[in-house]
Amino acid sequence: MTKDTRFGRRQLLKTVAAGSTAAIAGCSLSPGGNGTDTAAENGSDGGDGGSQVPGEIPDLSAFRGSGAILEGRPAPGGTSIRDLPSLSGSLNVYIGGGEGGIYDQFMDLLEEFYDDFSVSSNAAPSSSHAQTIVEEAEAGETRADVFWSIDASSLGFVADEGAYEPLGEEVVEPVPSRFTGEDNAWVGVAGRARAVPYNTNEVSEDDVPNSVMDFPEADFAGSMGWAPTYGAFKSFVTAMRLIEGDDATRQWLESMKSAGTERFPNEFVISSQVADGALQAGFANHYYAMRVKNQRDDPPIDLAFTEGDAGALVNIAGTLKVQGTGKGDLVDTFVRHLLSAEAQEFFATRSFAYPMIPDVEPVGGLPTIDELSPPDIDLSELSNLGPTLELMQEAGVSG
Amino acid sequence: MSSGERGESSVGRQHRLWERLVGDDGPVGTNLTLVAALIALALVAPLAWLAVEAADLGWEAVDLTTQATTIEVLVRSVALVAVVTGASIVLGVGMAVLTVQGDIPFRRFWTVLCAVPLAMPSYLGAFAAISAFGPRGALSHVLDPVGLSMPTIYGFGGAALVLTLYTYPYVFLTTRASLLSLDASLVEAARTLDCSRWEAFRRVTLPQILPGVAAGALLVALYTLADFGTPNFMRVQVFTQFIYARYTGFMRPYAVLLSLQLVAVTAVILAVESRIGADEEGAYESRGNRGAVELGLGKWRYPALLVPAAVFLAAIALPVWIFVLWLTQGGPGYQTGGLAFSWSYAENSVKVALMAAGASVLVALPVALRSAASDSWLARFADRLTYVGYAVPGIVLGIALIRFSLEVVPAVYKTLPLLVFAYVVRFVPQAVGSIRTSTQQVDGRLTEASRVLGRSRLGTFRSVTLPLIGPGVAAGAALVFLTTMKELPATLLLRPTGFGHTLVTYIWRVREAGLYGKAAVPALVLVAVSALSMAVILAGGER
Repeated sequence: MTKDTRFGRRQLLKTVAAGSTAAIAGCSLSPGGNGTDTAAENGSDGGDGGSQVPGEIPDLSAFRGSGAILEGRPAPGGTSIRDLPSLSGSLNVYIGGGEGGIYDQFMDLLEEFYDDFSVSSNAAPSSSHAQTIVEEAEAGETRADVFWSIDASSLGFVADEGAYEPLGEEVVEPVPSRFTGEDNAWVGVAGRARAVPYNTNEVSEDDVPNSVMDFPEADFAGSMGWAPTYGAFKSFVTAMRLIEGDDATRQWLESMKSAGTERFPNEFVISSQVADGALQAGFANHYYAMRVKNQRDDPPIDLAFTEGDAGALVNIAGTLKVQGTGKGDLVDTFVRHLLSAEAQEFFATRSFAYPMIPDVEPVGGLPTIDELSPPDIDLSELSNLGPTLELMQEAGVSG
Repeated sequence: MSSGERGESSVGRQHRLWERLVGDDGPVGTNLTLVAALIALALVAPLAWLAVEAADLGWEAVDLTTQATTIEVLVRSVALVAVVTGASIVLGVGMAVLTVQGDIPFRRFWTVLCAVPLAMPSYLGAFAAISAFGPRGALSHVLDPVGLSMPTIYGFGGAALVLTLYTYPYVFLTTRASLLSLDASLVEAARTLDCSRWEAFRRVTLPQILPGVAAGALLVALYTLADFGTPNFMRVQVFTQFIYARYTGFMRPYAVLLSLQLVAVTAVILAVESRIGADEEGAYESRGNRGAVELGLGKWRYPALLVPAAVFLAAIALPVWIFVLWLTQGGPGYQTGGLAFSWSYAENSVKVALMAAGASVLVALPVALRSAASDSWLARFADRLTYVGYAVPGIVLGIALIRFSLEVVPAVYKTLPLLVFAYVVRFVPQAVGSIRTSTQQVDGRLTEASRVLGRSRLGTFRSVTLPLIGPGVAAGAALVFLTTMKELPATLLLRPTGFGHTLVTYIWRVREAGLYGKAAVPALVLVAVSALSMAVILAGGER
């Protein structure tokens, strides 16, 4: 574990002592913060975070989330925002839906620190943005500087179509290569692992198979939930296709379906129902169960991870520099901010994402990415969704 | 062809053909008809980009179109349209007869109650229904301890039910308008001639209101066909959902091909409706309106009111209760910071909706006036053509307009005018229908008198026609306003960079992020603003 001297012991103590006030500071810091979609609307609730002086980068506590799950958490390592070049200018960001809310909040913070920096973010589904970006680039009418997708497949699509400019080497350098695109086309800023939330009253960890392919035979197979229309699930099926082949994947879907796996609109509902005991287990991204844990008083839910297969896929939310932006340097500096110690701590503690830099730990006793054994596939290939949809349709599990 | 016509000169034949095509009311009328047709064409022209894109598929297009899964989804979509339309007709006509003709107390109150579900986006209704009736929903907490369990809300039945609740007001409103202008003396005559009450309804009232019913049913059918959110929440795989999954799966040409199939289905629905609605003469026209028919309900007077009360409880009270629950208890999602609500989103919504309403009226006026005034094929065609946009799902229209603007007029790409144009394409038929109907009710003798007395055509329009059709224009504008407020997919794709959220895109954003509690305030604001615009629509009926 690396401790960064910038967040020394004193600071850490202060953070812990601050306890609940950290939460309050965290909240009021979101500030000007209602400008989720544009930089223009500023601050009806605009507290400036107690001791925080506008225009200055605040303490770590301003970045951290709150909740019992974070108790005793060590200070993050990595490069501090204070050591990065400052941001000035304006950026247009096409941001994906879903978890993107937390990212908007972080961009609001950056606007607070830097007087002459502003972000205009435009939210739509990631895959929709990806296709728009490619069309804009083809027509020479680029509108976005940064594409911040919540899924690697959309980044892979834009990269395949060549509508990007490579990120600077110093930007992607701190991130393991499995989470960066070829030719530095994109870089992950937050990780999300596929996982199996299970009800600890109904299922013991030993009963959860190590291989996702064995789930149709598991004892709890008749009491599981999945969300086939959700993008992360489709990426999971795509990964299975790439690893196990089409026939085995179709067979798996059919078996799980005939075992009685129930359909849900999203994976938060699945995780909640697992904690309620309505389901014994489910397929979901890891952070949903973390949210349930952080929100309830000791709910009977835990996470299991399979090994080396699609069930342990680690997907990412990531950023890409849009072709023709004309603000290449500013984009590079901006993305470096997203990979700073503070930003990674922010994403990890508030949305329970997997940090992308090795010096920041995942929260709440999650295994580190090195302890997990994600399958060895190129995340860009997840954009090959066509055959996945056909296969799901054939298996009667329409996406 | 008869022997007499055979002797006609070829010039005469051509002239007759021309008359049938564009009309017989002089050069001004002809020019206006051509203008109307051009407007209608301009509205659907960007959709031609769909055909261009689908052509990229080549022969594969045929295979994909005839695939078993494609057919299956198509059949399910058509079935949903049929069931929802049928149910909406039963409910809409029933409620219209009850509130217009029934001897019920507080008539106005019940009228508002019946119309107001239109103010609620059906996807919010669907979401509330799931939250209430779904497994472990809000209502099951009430019922479980009593030993009752909820029937499942998911599936075809649930989707049909929710869609009916939120679209039947279209039939209700158009039927109500027809009933209000119904000549009571006709029904009295039938009753005097020993017709039973039912027979009088079937033989006198029904033929008179049929075009009105058909006009409303058409809007219901096309809305159902184009709706994405409701079937998606209800786990029914219909065409729009099929298209959306392929679009988000980077299979755009396939998605576009499917959209063209959807347009084809629309054409069939339009053809069916025009057979029913074609005979509009006399239907709306009521030269001697002698007041509305009174229907004595006797002991059924109060039990009959249970129906609109139940509809209101299910369609409005229940979702509002769910939103308030979210507001007070934080909703089923988790709580994190960020994404705070801003009143500027409501301003944005109202702003674009007002612009869409205004633009729609300008576009709809020539089309509707010509359609009402001329028997020509072209005038009718222009009218029908505007309906195509209503059935095109917002996402498809968004794709088409992005491509169209980038390749043809980059200057308007992601600008407010393009967004407003999209709304006009989607929603103008509501204004066309409303204005056409009110124009048909204008007594032709009044305009003739004005012309005889030396007023110009324009002068007559301004001083005679316009004041008479004013309520119809206002109602049309209000309908466009209302539906624009609720629109999501095209808004997401086309809103200008830096424009910010509308109420609906904000609701989408927080729902996607799992922050349901934050959807409560904008949802309530949306319903409140939309309900206000209902007042305009209903005022139009009272003359």
